[in-house]
Amino acid sequence: MVRCAADPPYPILDDVIRLHHLTKRYGDTLAVDDLSFTVEPGHVTGFLGPNGAGKSTTMRLILGLDTPTSGEALVNGRPYTTLRRPMAQVGALLDAGAVHGGRTAYHHLLCLARTNDIGERRVAEVLDLVGLTGVARRRVGGFSLGMRQRLGIAAALLGDPRVLMFDEPVNGLDPDGVRWIRDLMRSLAAEGRTVLLSSHLMSEMALTADRIVIMGRGKLIAEATIQELTTRYPTLEDAYLALTAGSVQFGAAR
Amino acid sequence: MNMLSSEWLKIRSVRSTGLLLLLSLGAILLGAAIAWMAAGMYDDATPAKRATASIAELEEVVIIVPQLCMGILGVLAITSEYATGVIRTSLTAVPRRWPVLAAKAAVVGAISLLTGSVAIFGTYFLARQVIGDRFSGTYLTPFLDRLPTLAATGLTVCVFALLGLGLGALTRSTAGAVAVLVGLAYVIPMFVGKLPSPWKDWLGSMMISALPRQISGVPFKSSVYGSSLPPAAAVAVLAAYALVPVLAGTWLLRHRDA
Repeated sequence: MVRCAADPPYPILDDVIRLHHLTKRYGDTLAVDDLSFTVEPGHVTGFLGPNGAGKSTTMRLILGLDTPTSGEALVNGRPYTTLRRPMAQVGALLDAGAVHGGRTAYHHLLCLARTNDIGERRVAEVLDLVGLTGVARRRVGGFSLGMRQRLGIAAALLGDPRVLMFDEPVNGLDPDGVRWIRDLMRSLAAEGRTVLLSSHLMSEMALTADRIVIMGRGKLIAEATIQELTTRYPTLEDAYLALTAGSVQFGAAR
Repeated sequence: MNMLSSEWLKIRSVRSTGLLLLLSLGAILLGAAIAWMAAGMYDDATPAKRATASIAELEEVVIIVPQLCMGILGVLAITSEYATGVIRTSLTAVPRRWPVLAAKAAVVGAISLLTGSVAIFGTYFLARQVIGDRFSGTYLTPFLDRLPTLAATGLTVCVFALLGLGLGALTRSTAGAVAVLVGLAYVIPMFVGKLPSPWKDWLGSMMISALPRQISGVPFKSSVYGSSLPPAAAVAVLAAYALVPVLAGTWLLRHRDA
């Protein structure tokens, strides 16, 4: 996976997300605190943490939407903002609600595709892949949350990228949809892609992910395989609750 | 080119665009209706009243409609992305960021320039047809003498659109940007007209609606606006209205967390 470092300072790392002492401060709040970990290809990496732990901020930092206070986030060995046609390298679903309700699903994807020189045929392909072909010409405003999640996943897959990030894609899905996402995530990883997936559904995560990264209060709490965690604890949920016990900011005492 | 085709598709694939274009071109009918009513009143008036009756150039009055509509088109081109969160998808697809706003400016600028020109010339020709030689021959001025003023007035519609886009990029809020737009365009001029000299003339000359007549060098016969700028300076001020907020918005877009 590691090719020779042709052009320093960034060694070329294929299909890898690498965080290096990543830190993000908003005023007095330290949202991400000296976070370092690597997400590697070939498996689904589950990204866990209590609400407010900094998972979404970390994903925004990886995508160059927010600028780190210090440290860096590299995709394929480069900062995301230096990628020229990024959709061919990285696909992301951050917020399924982020669509203009007055636009059709087809137009939503085509607007995005055109910015990265992706043709109409690929738009039709991803619509088919997520099962939205039949409603492609309908306005997104009338879509259910599940349909919006599928549309967001279609957008992430448009450029056929090797690195994929999904922020809570299972939210609001029916059992069919949950199963579909699980199979999709696993097949993307089986194709050798890098998949970073955040979710609060522990049982679902235990079925989908191979490796787990747990964050709390902006810091890395644990980085392990599902197997390691379920050997030490009865279930992934027990592992999660034990490991994040000191990091829950909002919630009832337990 | 791909950025342009993407932004063109974005703007034509939402319903608000068609509505704003329809309203903008409705100004032509509004102008024609006012002309028709004025002509009727003129025809019913006594010769003594006719001799003193005057009428404003209607196309320069009703242009306020496309100005405002295209200003809102400019605002929505960017604030609708902030309101829905699509902006984060857009910036993820184009991490250099500035091409997004530049393509929006090109698309919104082209649409509004075309709309403004159709509105101003359409209203002018219809009103001239209806008014004829009434009102001491206001509409008998040769077309070529009116052309510079009409072209510059049509251009203000494009300036409003770019101003709206820039304000939208700065405020990231539809309501905020529209409020500032209306304030700059219509509220501030009302207050400027009440200022003591020389402020009234100096600031009045800087108002957007005062600029076309200073560019063409044909001052209004009576106006709340000033007319102290030479044509080149008026062109520069008009360009500043269009470009300064867009450029400031581009700088912020590149440096602000999305």
